[in-house]
Amino acid sequence: MIRAVIIDDERLARNELKKLLLEFPEIEVIAEAANANEGIEKIDSLNPDLIFLDIQMPGKTGFDMLAELEKAPDVIFTTAYDDYALKAFEVNALDYLLKPVEPRRLADALQKLHLEENRDREGISDEEIAINKSLLHETDQVFVKDGERCWFVKLADIRLFESVGNYAKIYFGPHKPLILKSLNALEERLDEKVFFRANRKHIVNLRLIEKIEPYFNGGLLLELKGGEKIEVSRRQTVKFKEMMSL
Amino acid sequence: MQKSGKYYWWFQIGWWGLLTLLVVLINILLGQKINGPFFEQLAVTILAGMFTTHIFRKYIHHARWLLLPVEKALPKFLIGILIVCMGYALIRIGMIYWLGLSSGKRTFGTRLLLINLENGMYVIPWTLIYYFYHFMDKSRKQELDTLKLEALVKELELKTIKSHINPHFIFNALNSIRALIDENPVRARKAITELSNILRSSMQTEKQETVLFEKELNIVKDYLALEHIRFEDRLQVQYDISDDTLSQPIPPMMLQTLVENAIKHGISKQLTGGTVTIVSDIRENYHELVIRNTGRLTGLKNEDGFGLMSTRNRLQLLFGDQANFDIREVNGNTVEAVLHIPLT
Repeated sequence: MIRAVIIDDERLARNELKKLLLEFPEIEVIAEAANANEGIEKIDSLNPDLIFLDIQMPGKTGFDMLAELEKAPDVIFTTAYDDYALKAFEVNALDYLLKPVEPRRLADALQKLHLEENRDREGISDEEIAINKSLLHETDQVFVKDGERCWFVKLADIRLFESVGNYAKIYFGPHKPLILKSLNALEERLDEKVFFRANRKHIVNLRLIEKIEPYFNGGLLLELKGGEKIEVSRRQTVKFKEMMSL
Repeated sequence: MQKSGKYYWWFQIGWWGLLTLLVVLINILLGQKINGPFFEQLAVTILAGMFTTHIFRKYIHHARWLLLPVEKALPKFLIGILIVCMGYALIRIGMIYWLGLSSGKRTFGTRLLLINLENGMYVIPWTLIYYFYHFMDKSRKQELDTLKLEALVKELELKTIKSHINPHFIFNALNSIRALIDENPVRARKAITELSNILRSSMQTEKQETVLFEKELNIVKDYLALEHIRFEDRLQVQYDISDDTLSQPIPPMMLQTLVENAIKHGISKQLTGGTVTIVSDIRENYHELVIRNTGRLTGLKNEDGFGLMSTRNRLQLLFGDQANFDIREVNGNTVEAVLHIPLT
């Protein structure tokens, strides 16, 4: 069973989608929200597997709402014709439905979701997921919005978090957008077996290290898959060596 | 080119004919002998002149000197005149020797110089007239082209501004109607009529410059009824329409665009929604339309700026300075757009 929340400011649009979803017994609509703030509340309290999200809403857009979440559930965007949103979808290949929704397109979108779900959850039991609920898992995705562009990023694909004032710059693929989260807050939520605090300004993904070299004062210099060179402070070097020798 | 070619031959005959008359006249006044050799000399001068200037013209066309800007054409023409005069002189001298008309008193050098000076008097004015005729012709054509282009741009502008109906609205309306089919079939049927009215009018208006206010208002009423289905309690609508204004002409889809903006940038951004008010009245000597909506005038950036600018441009194109348009924030949480259109 997939637990879903519908977020759309129009009651009729929500009803219409609910009616269409009756054809899919594996989807259970557990809540509705009429704007971004209600949406965030429902997601935090109910932790749904999937959300149907309208882009244009009063107050905050759907994109803004996602960027505020700690981790993003699977999302299917719903929108009427909208140049700006369509551009974002094309650039980032996010899945979206155009209103009025065509039932076959809805079936395709849900189908794709099942496939991804099976791949993601392989080898992880439900219990494990429940225990680690507060901790972000490697397979979790975050939604990142940087100006006009936005991405869903799997934590496993992020090689580096860099502190920039109150923001963190995250490095994945060729991109390095800013997110409004402090490095300390991120460190608390990240799995320390994978994400290592190399120094005051950087958290690195241990699985995406290319090369390790000795550095001044008994420190280390890590070279990441993207070519970034990160210094490990002397204090953290001890911890790093301990972890790696295990 | 064909047409200017016709004028060219009139010009050639006129110019050299005038010179013939002048030379004869001057010689008579100076008491010279007007006899056979004189006319033979004159014929040589005139015919050689026509021949060399005609060659000169061919070359000017061939080298496209007339298309050059003045400062580039000037030195070319000066050199051209020198060469033409020289060639002209050589032909004249050659002809005179060949026909045995030479009086033989002067050396070749002096003769060449004197004939060159004389040729200059014929060729320089010829070139000036020829050049200025084409210069004027060219600028007149350019002016005409500019006017045509402006008219085309104006037509295109009006078309694109008019045919502006927001696809976001159409698809949202269709989605609401689909949901309404089960919930309230009567309202759904009515909604489909309202939507077709709007679509039909947006297609028809492309042909007209103005429509009756009453007609435009009916479209806006249909539009707001549809938006009310979508926004439900979040949208309140008020009309304050003076009957005198119903028969006034207004640009089609202009009120519609402003009301659409009031929804898009006003009501749809408010969590609890708001009110749209439409006021239409006759002031001293103009028709005043006011569109008021809950909201703020903060996000006046690119796209809104374009919508407002196009409204202004349209009024300017249709009514000149007699119409005006203004948008402002009043009482902190209301945006007011005001249109003044001249009465007819």
